[in-house]
Amino acid sequence: MAGYGNGYGPSGQGQDIPMQDRSHFNPAYRDDSLQRDRVAVDMEGIRMEERRGSDGSREYCPEGSTRRRWAATAEPRDTADLINALPSRQLEQIASGVAAKESIRRRKSSRRSIHGTLRAARGKDANEVADSFTRNDDYMDELDGEARTTETLRRMVLPMHDKLSIKRTTSETRKQMTLKRGQTHKKIGWWKRTKYSIGISWMHFKHRMAEFAYSLELWRSHMKKIEGHFGTGVTSYFLFLKWLFLLNIPVFTLTLGFVVVPQILYRYNIKVPSGYGFSVNETSVSFTGEELLTGGNWFNNTELYYGFYTDQVIEIPVNSTTSYNMKYAYLFTCGGYYILCLITLAISISQSYKMNYIEGSGTHTFYNVSRVFCGWDYNITDKAAARLKHKSFYNEMKEYLSGSKKKSHKKNMEERCKLLFLRVLTNLLILGSIAGLSYLVFWISGSGTLKGSVYILSDLALSLCVSAIFLVFPPIFSKIAQFEKYEEPKNELYINMIRTMLLKTCVLGILVYFWFTDTAKDKYSCWETAVGSEIYRLVLVDFFFILGATFFLEFLRRICGQYCCNKGNEEQEGQAMGPEFDIGRNTLDLIYSQALCWLGTFYSPLLSLVMMVKLFIIFYVKMVSVLQNCQPSLRPWRAAKSHTIFMGFLFFFFLMAMVAVAVGVIIIEPSKVCGPFRGEEKAYSIVTNLIDSWKGDLKVLHDIINFISSPGSIASILVALCVGTYYMRIVMIGHKEMVTLLRQQLHMEGRDKAYLLRMLQDVSQKKKEKLGPSNVNRLLSPTSNSTLEAGQRTAGRRVFARTAADTVATMAPGNTRMRNLNGVLR
Amino acid sequence: MGGSQSVFSEQELSDYQELTYFTKKEILHVFKRFQTLDPDSVERDKNAKLNRETILKLPELQVNPFNDRITTVFSSAGDGCMTFEDFLDMMSVFSDNAPKNVKVEYAFRIYDFDEDDVISGKDLREVINRLTGEQALNDEEMEQLIQNILEEADLDDDDSLSFAEFEHVISKAPDFINSFRIRL
Repeated sequence: MAGYGNGYGPSGQGQDIPMQDRSHFNPAYRDDSLQRDRVAVDMEGIRMEERRGSDGSREYCPEGSTRRRWAATAEPRDTADLINALPSRQLEQIASGVAAKESIRRRKSSRRSIHGTLRAARGKDANEVADSFTRNDDYMDELDGEARTTETLRRMVLPMHDKLSIKRTTSETRKQMTLKRGQTHKKIGWWKRTKYSIGISWMHFKHRMAEFAYSLELWRSHMKKIEGHFGTGVTSYFLFLKWLFLLNIPVFTLTLGFVVVPQILYRYNIKVPSGYGFSVNETSVSFTGEELLTGGNWFNNTELYYGFYTDQVIEIPVNSTTSYNMKYAYLFTCGGYYILCLITLAISISQSYKMNYIEGSGTHTFYNVSRVFCGWDYNITDKAAARLKHKSFYNEMKEYLSGSKKKSHKKNMEERCKLLFLRVLTNLLILGSIAGLSYLVFWISGSGTLKGSVYILSDLALSLCVSAIFLVFPPIFSKIAQFEKYEEPKNELYINMIRTMLLKTCVLGILVYFWFTDTAKDKYSCWETAVGSEIYRLVLVDFFFILGATFFLEFLRRICGQYCCNKGNEEQEGQAMGPEFDIGRNTLDLIYSQALCWLGTFYSPLLSLVMMVKLFIIFYVKMVSVLQNCQPSLRPWRAAKSHTIFMGFLFFFFLMAMVAVAVGVIIIEPSKVCGPFRGEEKAYSIVTNLIDSWKGDLKVLHDIINFISSPGSIASILVALCVGTYYMRIVMIGHKEMVTLLRQQLHMEGRDKAYLLRMLQDVSQKKKEKLGPSNVNRLLSPTSNSTLEAGQRTAGRRVFARTAADTVATMAPGNTRMRNLNGVLR
Repeated sequence: MGGSQSVFSEQELSDYQELTYFTKKEILHVFKRFQTLDPDSVERDKNAKLNRETILKLPELQVNPFNDRITTVFSSAGDGCMTFEDFLDMMSVFSDNAPKNVKVEYAFRIYDFDEDDVISGKDLREVINRLTGEQALNDEEMEQLIQNILEEADLDDDDSLSFAEFEHVISKAPDFINSFRIRL
């Protein structure tokens, strides 16, 4: 390790190194980023390294690959010159290509790969780079030039010191050029100047916003601690939690601002309905502690639930003509935050999908490369975690390499049939148990006969039952899945997650169905409040179960592990013994809680506040538990792909919740004695009434809306969307084929390049022999390269290749052309 | 933080802000971390050159198996000593806001142990050895792994990964951005 790159000693003479020493070292793409003198010394260093190195390294290059070692015979210096003369390495061309795309108004970071710019700066010093900037008009533009220069500089691979000096040099040159230009040409127009100043102020605004966001960032130090100990897998859970917390904030502020506060003000001013503690029938109900658990009784007549809200049109005392219609407010706020969540989720999931699946796949999965080059998590700061990471990488590689050898074991018919039968059986078992549990839930919510002596428990019976089901059955499902012997652990994980989600969806679906059908409504005068309080209880009990699971599964298991089982394990001293943090299960719990919140916010507007408090407390509890009790996992967790899948689940649950609430609004009849929609036939009818009322004044709007909502237009929109999706799919298939073709072409081009460069190598070799060692190395030096360079600047590879081929042709036949050589090149 | 604010002029801070992927507050935070490495030298001269051992005291770099390569690549003198500007450059590349192609470029440089602008089989061997830590894969498995990697990534069959090939495969790896990141 120490031998690499440490040949920076005193510069030595270049020496001819015999061919076999270089069989492992391909100077083909060497450029002169190191100084010319150091090239030879590095060769020495590597030669020394090779003497020390293991024998295995020399066998690495098989004998029959001489065609790949085309440059092994040449002096590295000449090869470096050759490579540097290639058009792709010329800074000006690349820089001008980039500058055209940059302007102060379109400064979003281009995803286009501009590695040419970055790489071309290698080996040139700051002055050369500054010169190439000044030669380009785009960078010297009076208004935009500064921004373009800094943007290109930012992406270049140069030391900061050089970048600063280049920046200063170019801006001075720019000032001089502007002065000169100002004397000869007319001034810049007014419009351009305005655009520029708008762009500048927008940029400053963005900087200030970024700084503000940086200072506000929530929980940053905690995340960093967790990241240092556990890496990206566990951190992804906490990031997801933070994201959900932030998502709930606008929902809460919307409901607070438009629904809760007007209600409070209304009640305060007009005292209808009467204050807290009085039910609808004017009997007093006092606050006892147990309401926090059941969410009923005293809470029934507070802003927590739908039933408390008025249906009046509130006259604003300040200005008697304006009024605040509570019905519209309630319904449109609800619609508003659902649409907000929908947009956020859709954007988030599409970005995640694009990043992780589309860009990350294609025809090949680069498993080995990504395991090795993304194998180390740079976030880890803890020694124990680092050791575990090393071990985990080692285990994974060993497992993979031994597994790929065993891959040839194909299953015969009998084994396949058996496996199929087994899988069908387990799936039936699981589906059957899901159906059974749904019926159980239905029966419990229907019968209500579980009245025991403890009053609270009968209310909580349903929630306790549901949460217990969700605690107990998913681990049973995963145990069953182990019998199914999936080949890849990733598939097993996904199947488990799908089954858990299916269970939760079915149970929730049954509950919603129960609440919306007649059987529920007969019992209560105000069924929406009852639904709201039921959801509140579900949320609360789920919270307690999460806390309890954390306590039992993580804390107690660590205690047991420490004291009971491992007295004899000396080599594990100093390592934290404990369970691993189950990222999948915990994230699915979070998704379920959020789905409950979305389902219930219509019937209980303050539920989002409850959810925010719950998430806040869960963050701290889980963080403490993870840091104290858990140890990092040995198995790697693919955070990026899993993130997309979790977002997918979240989106699915959101759609289900939205559909359920939409059904409740559009189809179910609101209760007659409470809530903002009392007396209406359906809650949605206020919207239809509103639209009908426009028939008089705003006939145009009415007609437009009628037209859009007619069946014909909706059908045609759906058909258009389907056609669009089909088109996208065709385009995608075409692109995939194109990628395959381009890969083949790239392969061929690589071999073309090797062939041409080999020809040039032969030429330069021959010339060197003729010219003798004194004049050895400036065959293709920059000063004699003008023809080649001119060719590069104007045309492309073809001119270069033709010139090179001409050079070869003039060289090849005779050995008397030495003098003519210089003539040709100049 | 108020003390370090007076160390840099407004012009310097805005230059740094434009040339890195940091905001001004983040730059000051980075300077504070730099200062804790060797408070005396930095007090005297804010552009002090700290040698490699001092830089490696940073907890984020201490356990990293590639820490010597990181300090070599980012040091402007090439020998592992870093000034504050080098340090800022390094943290900027490793930050969240740096675009993927900048990270890929530096990752290529870090993994290119012999600095010959390609990642050859020897470089790959070194990378894998450093990743496995105290345990080591045996020769046969190592060869197999290297062959697999070259099969996947080497498009023009020259038994090494040039930058274009490296970039081509790494941009397809979705975990690269998440793992190649150091937050201060």
